[in-house]
Amino acid sequence: MSVAQSLNYHIKFKLFGSRIVKWQANRAYKNFKEPKNWRSDILASPLKIGVKTKELITKHYLEGRYVNGVKPVAWVTSGAPVEILKALGFYILYPENHAALCGARRATLDISSEAENRGYSVDICSYARTDIGTMLSGKTPVGKLPKPDILLACTNICQTVLFWYRVLAKHYNVPLIVIDTPFLYDNAEPHQVEYVKNQLENSIETAERAAKKSLDFAKLKNVVKLSKEAAALWLEIMERGKNVPAPISVFDQFIHMALVVEKRGDAETVDFYANMLAEIDERIEKGIGAVVNEKKRLLWDNLPIWHKLRFLSEFLAERGVSVVASTYTNAWGELAPMIDVNNPIESLAKTYIHPILNRSAEYKLKVMERMIDEYKLDGAILHSDRSCKPYSMGQVDQRNRLVTQASKPALLLEADHSDPRSYADEQVKNRLNAFLEMLGV
Amino acid sequence: MSVPTRLEVVEKVRKDKKGVAAVFPIHYPRELFRAFGIHPIEVWGPPKVDTSPAMAHLQSYICSVVQSGLSFYLSGALDVADIILVPHCCDSLQGLGSILKGFVKKDRPVFTLYIPRGKRREDIEFLKEELKRLYENIAGFAGFKPTKDDLFDAVIKEEDADKLTLQAYEVHRKFKTSSSEFYRLIRLREYLPLVEFEKLVNEFIQKKYKPSGSVGVVFSGVLPEPMDVFSLVEESGGVVIDDDFASLRRRIYPLGESDDPFERMAQRILNAPPDAMKGSSFKDRENFLLDIVRNSSSKGVVFYNVKFCEPEKFYHPILKDSLKSANIRSIVVEVDINEPLPQQVKTRIRAFIETLKRG
Repeated sequence: MSVAQSLNYHIKFKLFGSRIVKWQANRAYKNFKEPKNWRSDILASPLKIGVKTKELITKHYLEGRYVNGVKPVAWVTSGAPVEILKALGFYILYPENHAALCGARRATLDISSEAENRGYSVDICSYARTDIGTMLSGKTPVGKLPKPDILLACTNICQTVLFWYRVLAKHYNVPLIVIDTPFLYDNAEPHQVEYVKNQLENSIETAERAAKKSLDFAKLKNVVKLSKEAAALWLEIMERGKNVPAPISVFDQFIHMALVVEKRGDAETVDFYANMLAEIDERIEKGIGAVVNEKKRLLWDNLPIWHKLRFLSEFLAERGVSVVASTYTNAWGELAPMIDVNNPIESLAKTYIHPILNRSAEYKLKVMERMIDEYKLDGAILHSDRSCKPYSMGQVDQRNRLVTQASKPALLLEADHSDPRSYADEQVKNRLNAFLEMLGV
Repeated sequence: MSVPTRLEVVEKVRKDKKGVAAVFPIHYPRELFRAFGIHPIEVWGPPKVDTSPAMAHLQSYICSVVQSGLSFYLSGALDVADIILVPHCCDSLQGLGSILKGFVKKDRPVFTLYIPRGKRREDIEFLKEELKRLYENIAGFAGFKPTKDDLFDAVIKEEDADKLTLQAYEVHRKFKTSSSEFYRLIRLREYLPLVEFEKLVNEFIQKKYKPSGSVGVVFSGVLPEPMDVFSLVEESGGVVIDDDFASLRRRIYPLGESDDPFERMAQRILNAPPDAMKGSSFKDRENFLLDIVRNSSSKGVVFYNVKFCEPEKFYHPILKDSLKSANIRSIVVEVDINEPLPQQVKTRIRAFIETLKRG
């Protein structure tokens, strides 16, 4: 660590930056107001905790600007077993979250074109194109991303991350740890879990080398405990959606899930979700629903369409439709019970092989059916996401089964999680209108 | 060259009272099936089938290999098989396996095989266990278990076929034989019984050839479909002198080292030429591609890519750069295995060969 880097970090981030962000957040929290143009006629006020979400994410990216040379930096895939790196003191960056943020801020087109001009096909996942675009051009709405010292790619969400991270590893010339999680067509077999466990154990040495320190297992246990607590709270928050009217919608969840992805394993994340849960319980007590006049309740399948969150939220709320549950946000909480704090490595292996994205289309259908039942839902919107083949394949059959076997209307909506070129406003409106008519809205 | 069709082979196998396995792409041990006396027939698409049955299950952005494979299955063409195997090689084939097992079930087992994305010690150990699982699954169907010696014997026979195939590549490189005929021959391994395949390859090797003056070009991609491209290259004065196709060159597995047949099969698959579908590193793929280009004195590389094949697409920019640094020209063209070669692709390939001829 150079003295200049350390000074820069401590002055610009620790002393001023993070304090200013915190001060601004506290002020905003105290004088909480709805954003301009907020449709309070159809939507409940945004959660006050949103101010804190913004604060924590802003601080995270702000720290990233100055962190190189002060802490080791790891770039990891969203579903990666991050706990070992956390316990080693890494600053963790999630390129997928960054790409989602670019999508929400409508910066995808500009940034991904940098990758496309370099030869990366538009058929490649738009998250990958966005991050490769940032890698090549430095363009990002968050100012600057720290350079990685190590990369961790886990195949439990898709195979795409493997190629994407190979591109990053070549560009930054840093070690890449691959945790390969065999896809589960059926239940996990012992040799499959053993394989993930062996890889986790073998990854420790590479991670220690990059961190220049040894792993403290007591610390690891503590990080695992915090991960479990945050995921369990997140699950509880989502399950509050079973209440009628639902106190939060999936559009709220898409925003507030950032922390369980990006900062799981941190104590402040646990505090954050405990506070969020309290605010939601307060809403329930007061009978406040996320949608003012909730008439119908839906399930969302697959990733969000980041660049159209507000439009979709308002379009549906105007018609009294609340989208209250999602297989995607659920994925970040449902595995919490699997984590065993006293048996960290083996339980991480078990947990991280089991995300919904690493399981069969038939299993995913069962999850949808269960959620429809438990959340008392009237139907489902399945986002057929051009950029996410593993999530989207099987949706045609899942939709048909929901309609024919569960007797629930279901819509397959074709778009892309962040590339606006695969989305047409009018077409989406027409399809949604026709679907809502079927629901009797 | 007169050879039986896939259907004729199936009829013959049936007559001999042997089982048939339909195997989807890409990597799997043929020897494991052969040890059970089950004949593996590979399903690479097939091209030019009516894909409308699959459209009832798949989105339009799924590659044509999967679209065709599912359509073929739904049309009943694979009903001749007793077993279906879907090795895991990409998100799309993973999805196909999921659909076959969950939504379009038929009265025959669908087995899967996860190919690890690495060649570390733990990857080989894992694949060994996966192969044992597949062995148990097949045994459940076949009603018996081949002995270790039976398995080992099957592995050695397959290794011999791999060595022989490499010899054929050498002859083809040396004399620049017709690429249409050469690749038609090599692709017969997708469905011919081993002995018949080896007989034809031996005939090819022993034939006398006059060296041709055609300009050599290497093709890289998943599979050479539409196959018309070989004639196109030849008509333009070129020859596909070697390849980096997942269905061909990347599946000529090296000899294994272990005395344990499962470990040896695992070693063979994971130590085979690098492949996008095994998540190989850029360095490995660069080295392999440069080696085959140099060994074949080729002048250029055509990346012959199936539309929507994401794994291959990630490698193109970096592989193209490496080739450029080595003064080797390259182009990327995109095809759909169900469509005839697009005019634009034909024009680009013709122009590319012309450029190579001029040096």
